[in-house]
Amino acid sequence: MQDLVSVVTLGSVYLLFALGMSITWGTIDILNFAHGSVFMFSAFSASLVLEQTTLGLVPVLLIGVAVGALLSVLIQVLAFEQILRRAKDRRSAEMQILIGGIGVAIIPLAIAQHHTQSNPFGLNASSFTVESLSLGGLRVTNIQVLTVVLALALWAAAAVWLQRSRQGLALRAIGVDAQTAALMGVDRRRLALVTMAVSGAMAGLSGVLFTYSLGAITAESGDTLLVKAFACIILGGVGSMLGVAFGAYLLAAAEVVILTQTNGSWVEAVSFGLIFLVLLVRPAGVFGRKEVRRT
Amino acid sequence: MSDFFSSNLVLVQSTLSGLILALSIQVPLRMGVFSFAGAGSYGIGAYAAGILVLRYEFGALTAIALTVVGTAVIGFLLGAVISKLNGLYLAMATVAFDLIISVVAINGGELTGASTGLFGILTDFTMTQMVALTVAALALVAMSEVGRLGRRVDTVRDDPELAASMGINVRRYRLAAFVVSGALGGLAGAMNVLVRSTVGPLDIGFGLIVLALTMIIVGGSRSWKGALIGAVIFTWLPDLLTVIGEWQELVYGVIVAIAAILLPRGIYGVLQDGWRWAQRTRRDRRAAARGGPVVDDDGGLRPQEDEAAVLAAQAADQPHRELDQLSSRPQGAS
Amino acid sequence: MDLDLQRRRRRAVLAGLTAAVLMGTAACGGSDDGGGGSADGLPKTIKLVSVNPTTGVVAFAGNAANQGYQLAIQEINDSDLLEGSQLELELVDTRSEPQTAAQEATTAIADSEVAAIFGSVSSNEAIAMSPLLQQRGLPVIYTQAGSDGVVVGDYTWRATPLMSSYYPILSRYVEEQGFSSLGVLYTSATPTLQEVGSETVPQMAEDLGIEITASIDIPATTQDYSAPISQVLESEPDAVVALLVGAANVTVMQQLRQAGYTGPVLGNSGASAGNLVPAGADGADMVWPVDFNFQQTAESSQAFVEAYRAEYGEDPLNYAAEAYDAAWFLARSIAAAGSADREAIKDAMVTQAEETFDGALGEGLSWEDGTIVVPGVVVRWTGEGEELLYEGTGEA
Repeated sequence: MQDLVSVVTLGSVYLLFALGMSITWGTIDILNFAHGSVFMFSAFSASLVLEQTTLGLVPVLLIGVAVGALLSVLIQVLAFEQILRRAKDRRSAEMQILIGGIGVAIIPLAIAQHHTQSNPFGLNASSFTVESLSLGGLRVTNIQVLTVVLALALWAAAAVWLQRSRQGLALRAIGVDAQTAALMGVDRRRLALVTMAVSGAMAGLSGVLFTYSLGAITAESGDTLLVKAFACIILGGVGSMLGVAFGAYLLAAAEVVILTQTNGSWVEAVSFGLIFLVLLVRPAGVFGRKEVRRT
Repeated sequence: MSDFFSSNLVLVQSTLSGLILALSIQVPLRMGVFSFAGAGSYGIGAYAAGILVLRYEFGALTAIALTVVGTAVIGFLLGAVISKLNGLYLAMATVAFDLIISVVAINGGELTGASTGLFGILTDFTMTQMVALTVAALALVAMSEVGRLGRRVDTVRDDPELAASMGINVRRYRLAAFVVSGALGGLAGAMNVLVRSTVGPLDIGFGLIVLALTMIIVGGSRSWKGALIGAVIFTWLPDLLTVIGEWQELVYGVIVAIAAILLPRGIYGVLQDGWRWAQRTRRDRRAAARGGPVVDDDGGLRPQEDEAAVLAAQAADQPHRELDQLSSRPQGAS
Repeated sequence: MDLDLQRRRRRAVLAGLTAAVLMGTAACGGSDDGGGGSADGLPKTIKLVSVNPTTGVVAFAGNAANQGYQLAIQEINDSDLLEGSQLELELVDTRSEPQTAAQEATTAIADSEVAAIFGSVSSNEAIAMSPLLQQRGLPVIYTQAGSDGVVVGDYTWRATPLMSSYYPILSRYVEEQGFSSLGVLYTSATPTLQEVGSETVPQMAEDLGIEITASIDIPATTQDYSAPISQVLESEPDAVVALLVGAANVTVMQQLRQAGYTGPVLGNSGASAGNLVPAGADGADMVWPVDFNFQQTAESSQAFVEAYRAEYGEDPLNYAAEAYDAAWFLARSIAAAGSADREAIKDAMVTQAEETFDGALGEGLSWEDGTIVVPGVVVRWTGEGEELLYEGTGEA
């Protein structure tokens, strides 16, 4: 049963992280490889602020959200918009964005590495402390509960936003056919900025939560999550909100089960083997829709 | 010169193996197959060649030959299984393949040297042999870019339906991409391990894919010349940047980002444009001096220096334009 | 310029005196190798290169090691052990990448001015450098790099003891605490920790006649340890062994406490250097053996600590102490060789290594198979700082 707690909390971390990547990828067609860097840099910024002053949980989370959103908007304006303006077709734009993201990601990473010398940093200067609770024989921490609640709430909110709101409709329209959407009067640039800001805010939020729950991370921590988030999104099917949640919890479950049932070292092989198999059976992810074209 | 060569030997060797690695990912991309399996083949190649030399005392060339055949076969099998996947789903499946290879390397116990990896792989592999193998591989790849084969490859990438209607067996081409990618990846890995004498699980991870992609995208994704430019730049750049000291990583990131933003067709594309432009200006000037009509790139005549000429020149700059417009149609299954 | 010349002449006089004194001691030590060291054998400056990561993932260790080298070389140059010859240290950065490390090693080999180099702290970089250096005959001393394939011949040396060689000094702690079973978590991210986790600790348990209740190998990419922790705790061990790198030590301590485990945790030196600070009170009671701690009592260690504090204004880490001893070992070998020739230095290192010496890492240090052997110390993290529990006897 304690393992179930592990699965749910780990899955929620993956979900929160992957959610931000998923909404930009599924709508405005940006697979943002700088997402991990934004995640890390938000937590890093919060730890810098905490060196100066003591703050509680909410202000620290807000710092993470603000830094994440700001950084993502900056990346969008300075890198991705420029690439899209110059690219000659969609396929090469996709590749340029991938590489541009990788290049941009190095910048915050280098700053954090330089400042910390790759030593771990944490948020222990915050007045908020992580505490264990006992719920019917199961041990959970307050930050774990918060992570799960926020992940599910934000996931639901994002799904509703995309499904119901006018902006969401416009975004999905872009995802299906950008040209037609533009003809229908969708302001692509503004929507893209809003989406990137939301995505960055989620990265920042998950960065701070993750750092609280692990105690400390290093400048490189974001990179590891990037590959896993990529896997979660693909597993569920790009553009599907249900899919990303499914992918996150399935990956977490696979990892936890293998880690606890074997001596551990084959975890990655089995979880990636699983992804491989799922793709063979469902070539567009489990909840992937055929009409969303990806080349 | 030989002094320069001996003190930069490692960089020269890395450039060659980096080039072949970049090609192993560029070749499938050029056929429209979004596969990163080349990086996994590189890992298999490095370990296989290392093990053959270290544990079974094979000679360098035999080890390389066996390895390349092996990775080509693995490429074929992998291709047969996953070639129905498309786009980034295919990319993910191949990334999964690559990462599984690293996990196997860590868990291989005695055979793969666990997290230490293999070391002390010393052979009679010479620089001449390495250059010869690289040039041979490069020549084969270059041949696939010109003439009839080159045009077919372009069509398979840009419009698989058109290709199929022209009687090209698209599936066979896509499968070939996996085989070639496997062989090239295996060659790169095998050569690298034989000159570097060591390989560890960390050398064959996700970073390898990133490096190869960076080389291709910044260098130029449509030609082996682009891969060559990328391999030279990204092998030597970090070394040149060490003079900057502590902020070198930052500068590296800025350079990659700027190159990706400003050079949509890669550095090779820029050079190509520059060369065409220079050639045309020269010809125009000569023609102007004679006062006659200007002979165009494609042999057509065009009137001197007017708006139509400028437009025609621009059109000539972008030979891929027609195909690209076709490719932006919905492609259904592709 | 003139001033400089004058100073140099005065130094030369001093040098003669010091050399005479030193030769006397060397003779007492029974080494007659130093006899060949005539003043004209050594060039005015001897170039050394430190090929270490100063940027990238392992920069923290590389930078600390470089500080140790610089301090030692400054002292050596002031001491005139080398009869007026000056050691000149160039720092090159490997950017934490094996390929760059191999490239820099090749550059150093090709530069005939370079007499010897200090090799990288990272195993992955070191095993890429060693075959080249051994094959082409350039002496190298590594620190940290603890895997196989680093020391491959007489040209390659390592001034850091293998963790598996001193880890068993923890036996005393385990006995004192009366533990009768251990649950083990270790990472396969580094060869050293993998070896200690999968071989040294089980061997130690067997020697002590205690039980290993669970042993979990955690892949390098896992960042959240709650699942393996609950797994280990379910097996109900008396104490937990957690062998992880850097930041992971913080996570594992915090999550162990959250999971209700209150006992001590046996760790490794990856938790030192203040890495546990972010864990706050949860980090308390992690106990680990290490080759050096600034509180250790040996006279030679304390002399180093004082010099280091005076120079850099902080307490030295083990990386700096190892580097310091490496530099002095090399300098003594160069003095004994009486020449900056690479092969002569190598031969002198071989004979020097037969003697024990006192250094930053402790007293009575010796070499075994090209790797230094030290007594080691056991430290405990109090939640705020490192507390020295006891020092090894050198018999482990």
